[in-house]
Amino acid sequence: MKPDKTLRIARWEVSKNAGQLDRRTLAAIGVVLVLVAVLTPMVASKGIALDDGIYRVGVAEDSPYHDPVVEDPTFVAVEPDARAFQSGEIDVLVLPDRPPIPARSQKGQAALSELRGSVEAYNDRTMADESDFEAAFPVNVSVRYVEQNASLAASGGDSDDADSTPDDGEVGLGGGESGDGNGGDSGDGDGGSDAGESGDGSESSPSDGAVEAPSVGSGSSLFGGDTAGGTPSDITPPFPFESLVLAFAFVLPMNFVIQAYASSVLNERINDRGELLLVSPVSRGDIVAGKTLPYFLGMVAIATVTAVGIAGLTPAGGDAPLEIARTAAASVAAVVPIALLFLASSFVGAMFARSFKELTFVTVTLSVFLTSYAFIPAIFTDVHPVAAISPLTLVVRVLGGGGLALSDYAFSTLPLYLTAGVLFALGVGVYREEDMFTQRSIPLKFLDALDSQLSRPRSVAKLSALSIPFVFVAELLAVALLFALPVSVSMPVLLVVIAFIEEVAKSVGIYAGFAHARFDRSLGSVGLLGFLSGLGFFLGEKATAVAQLVGLPNLELGRAAFGTVTGLGIETSPLLLAGLLFAPLALHAVTATMTALGASRGRNRYFVALALATVVHAAYNLTVVSYVG
Amino acid sequence: MDNRLTVAGRELASLRSEKTIVLAILIQLFVAAFSSFLAVGLVSLYDPGSVSNGFVVEFGVSGDASDDLTPVIEAEDGWEAVEYDSYGDAMDDFRGGEVHAVLHVSRSADGRADVEAVAPDGNIRTTLVVTQIRDALAAFERSERARLDSRLERTPIPLPPEGESSPYFGFTYTVLLPLLMFLPVFLSGSVAVDAIAEEYDRGTLELLRVTPLTGTDIVDGKMLAMGLLAPLQAGAWLALLSFNGTSVSNPVEILLLVTGFSVGVVSMGAFAALRFRDRKQAQFLFSMGILVVFSSTYLLPESPANSVAKLAIGSPTTLTHAMVGVYLVVALAGYAAVRRFVGANGLGE
Repeated sequence: MKPDKTLRIARWEVSKNAGQLDRRTLAAIGVVLVLVAVLTPMVASKGIALDDGIYRVGVAEDSPYHDPVVEDPTFVAVEPDARAFQSGEIDVLVLPDRPPIPARSQKGQAALSELRGSVEAYNDRTMADESDFEAAFPVNVSVRYVEQNASLAASGGDSDDADSTPDDGEVGLGGGESGDGNGGDSGDGDGGSDAGESGDGSESSPSDGAVEAPSVGSGSSLFGGDTAGGTPSDITPPFPFESLVLAFAFVLPMNFVIQAYASSVLNERINDRGELLLVSPVSRGDIVAGKTLPYFLGMVAIATVTAVGIAGLTPAGGDAPLEIARTAAASVAAVVPIALLFLASSFVGAMFARSFKELTFVTVTLSVFLTSYAFIPAIFTDVHPVAAISPLTLVVRVLGGGGLALSDYAFSTLPLYLTAGVLFALGVGVYREEDMFTQRSIPLKFLDALDSQLSRPRSVAKLSALSIPFVFVAELLAVALLFALPVSVSMPVLLVVIAFIEEVAKSVGIYAGFAHARFDRSLGSVGLLGFLSGLGFFLGEKATAVAQLVGLPNLELGRAAFGTVTGLGIETSPLLLAGLLFAPLALHAVTATMTALGASRGRNRYFVALALATVVHAAYNLTVVSYVG
Repeated sequence: MDNRLTVAGRELASLRSEKTIVLAILIQLFVAAFSSFLAVGLVSLYDPGSVSNGFVVEFGVSGDASDDLTPVIEAEDGWEAVEYDSYGDAMDDFRGGEVHAVLHVSRSADGRADVEAVAPDGNIRTTLVVTQIRDALAAFERSERARLDSRLERTPIPLPPEGESSPYFGFTYTVLLPLLMFLPVFLSGSVAVDAIAEEYDRGTLELLRVTPLTGTDIVDGKMLAMGLLAPLQAGAWLALLSFNGTSVSNPVEILLLVTGFSVGVVSMGAFAALRFRDRKQAQFLFSMGILVVFSSTYLLPESPANSVAKLAIGSPTTLTHAMVGVYLVVALAGYAAVRRFVGANGLGE
C-alpha cells in the first residue's frame, strides 16, 4: 500500500466526478436538496398518518360518542343507518343508550377496538378540564424497572430491598435522562422529599408537583417520558422511537452514497475503462483504496454533520460544546463500521454485477438487508439483549445520553469491521482483467474471488477462519429472524440453520480450490484440506469466544448459537471441559473432510456431502445443547 | 407499436437472462417476511394483550388500598392479582419470578391512589407487562372515577366493548399493503434509469439508431417494459394476500393507482437518464426526486399510502377515487412530457 498513489487515485476520482457536473446538473442537485430540506420538516410536522379515515362509524350528532369519533382522524363519522350497517358500509353503529355495535366482520371488530382506545383517550382529555383534579385523575403512577431472576447478577444496585432507594432502579423510559443522575431525573423536584417518605415502603411523589404537567398523550421529552408520577395513560412502554428515527438519519444517506460508489466501480468495468489503471505500476489494493476513500470520507462527513446536528438539537447528553462533540464522536464511531460494510458489499456487488440494471437490484437488496440488520435490532434497545448486535443501538443509547462501553462497541462493531475487511479482500481478488471485463456468471466469479485467496493448502484454513464474521452475521440474522417464535420451534430450526451456515463456510473455499484444479484430488489431500479447514474454523470460532464474554449471555438463542462451540460459560468438570473444548475441533474436521471429499468429486456430490455434513453437525449441536441445557 | 414491443421484449429478456428479477422478488419476500417479525415487535408495543395468547399477567398487589385494586384486576380474564401484606414480600416474589409485576397502592392525604408499579427490566416481556400495567391501572382509574362521580362535572363516556380482531389487521392494510404496492414502483423507476443510461454508457445507442427505430420508439419500449413490471408484481401480491385470507377490496382501482405511479415514476427515471446520461448522476437525482415527490404527497389531502389503505380496507371516499384519477392524469402528463422531450431533442448525438 502506497499512500501517495492511493491519494492520487482518490483525487482523480473526485476530480473526474466534479468534472462531469455541468452547471445545470449542479443546479438540479441544488434544487432537489433544497426541496428535501424544506419538505422534511413540513412532512414531519404534519405527521405521517397512515390510518386516516379507514373506519366508518355511524353515530348521531347528539350521541356522546360523536365527539370522540370526530376528533380521531382514524374514523369517518356518518349518519347512523341500519341499512348501510347491514350492507357493510358502516363498521360500527352507535345507537342511543346502547353500547356501540360492530359490523360482523374483522373490520368491524378492528374498528371497535380502535374506538375503545379513542374513547379512552377522549375521556382523559375531557377529564383534564375538570376543576377537581384529584377526582378527575384519581390514580398517580410511577413505574420502576427492576431485574427479575437476578440471582447471579451480583450488582449491588438493586439487590437491597428496593423500598429504601426508589431511584436506583428507576429508568427514564427509553433511557431518557437516567444515565447519569439518580434523583435528578424525576422531573418536578420530588427527588428531595422522597427520601423522607421512603420509610413507608412506597415512593409516593408529592402528588401535585409531579402531576401538574401530565401532558396527556404526548411524551414529555424527546427521548420518551420520565415515569415518576403521572396518570395511567402516561405510561409508555420503553420504546426509543425518536432516537430510532434519528438513527435512521444516519443510515439513509448511505444508501445514496453507495449508489454513486457502485456506479463508479462498475464504470471501470465497462468498455475496458479500468484497463489503463490496471496496467499502471499501482497495486490493485491501491486502486480500490483510492477509489473508495472519497466515498468513505463523504459518508463520515455526512454522518458527522448529522451527529453534530442531532446532538446539538437534542442535548440529552448535555449541551456544552464538549459534550455535544463527545456525543457526536461516539455516534460517528458507531456508524463508521456500518458505512464500511455498505461500501464493501456494494464494491463486491459492483464487481459481480453484469449490467447497471443488475447493479440496481444488487444495491437495493444490500440497502434493504443492511438497513434492516442495523435497524431492526435497534428497535429493541432497552427491551431485549438482541439489540446489542446492531451498532445503531449504540447510537440510540448515546443520543439518549448514555455512555459507550468499549466492550459493547467491540461486540456490535467487530463483526462488521471484519466482514467489511473480508469483502474488500474478496473484491480486490477479482479486480483483475479476466474477471472485470468478461461476462462470467456470478457463481463462477465468486469461486474466482475465493480462489484468488488460495495459494496452498494452508490458505484453506485462513479462508475458513476469515469466514467467521460472515457466519457470525448470518447466524445473528437467523437469531434475529427466529427469536420471535417460541423457543421450542426456533431452537431446532436454528440449530440446523447454523449447522448449514457453518458447513457452507468451511467447504466453499475447498470447493473453489478443486474447481480451479488447485489441489490434488487424492484422498490424502482431501483429508489434509478437511482438517485444515476445520482447524481454521475452530480457531476463528475460539476468537469469537469474546462474544460469550461481552454479549448475549442472557439470550437463550445466543447461547445456542455460540455456546455449543465455545464451551465457555458451562460449569462442569475439567475433563469434560477439555472434551468440550476439543470436541468441536474433531467435529469441524470430520464434517469439513466429508464436504471436501464431495467437493473433489464434482458439484452434485458436493451438495450431497454438504447435506450429510449439515445433518451430522446439527445432530452434534442438538446433543450438546440438550446435554448442557 | 410493434417496434416498441420488440424493444420492451428485449429489455425483459435481458432481465430474465440475468435472473436478477429473482433478487427483486427476494427483496419483497424479505420485506414481507421481516415485516411480520416487525409486526410482532411493533404490535406488541401497541397492543400486547392480543399477542400474549392466553398469557396471564400476575400482579403482586400490596399497600393499604390494595383492596380497591384487587377486584378491578380480578374482573379481567388475562389478569390475576396476588395480595401481599408488605411491599418487601411482593418484591421478593417478583425477583424470584413468581409474579410479573408489583403494584404498591397507597392512599395519599387527598384521597388519590398512589401506585408504584414495578416492571421487569431488560426482558422480552417488559413491553408486554408495562402495557398490561397501564391497562390495569386505567381500569382502576375508571373505577375510581366512578366512585368519585359526585365530584366530577362531566361523566366519562362508557367504553365500547373490546373488539376481537387480530392486532395485525390495521397493520396489514395501513403499512404492509402500501409498502408492497410501492416497493416495485421504486425498483421499476430505478431500473428504467439503468436501461437508458446503459445505452449511453456502453455506446450501444449507435447500434439501435441504425435500426428503423425512432428515438420515441426506443424510449417507449424501455418504459413499457419497466412500467409493466410494477403493476404485475403488485397484482401478484394482491392475489397472494387474498389467498392468505386478507380480503382486499377494490383490487382493480388499487392496480390502477399503482399503474399510475409506475408510469409517473418510470417517466421520471427515463427523464433523469435522458437528461443526465451518466448513471451516477441520473440515479442520484432520481432517488432524491422520488424522496421529494413522495414526501410532498403527504402534504396532499390524502397521501397515496393512505389511499391504498382506504381502497384495500373498503372505505374509499369520493376524494380517494378523485385522487386515483389525479395520479393517473399527472402520470400520463409526465409520460407525454418525456415523449415530447425525446421528440424534440432525439436521443443525443
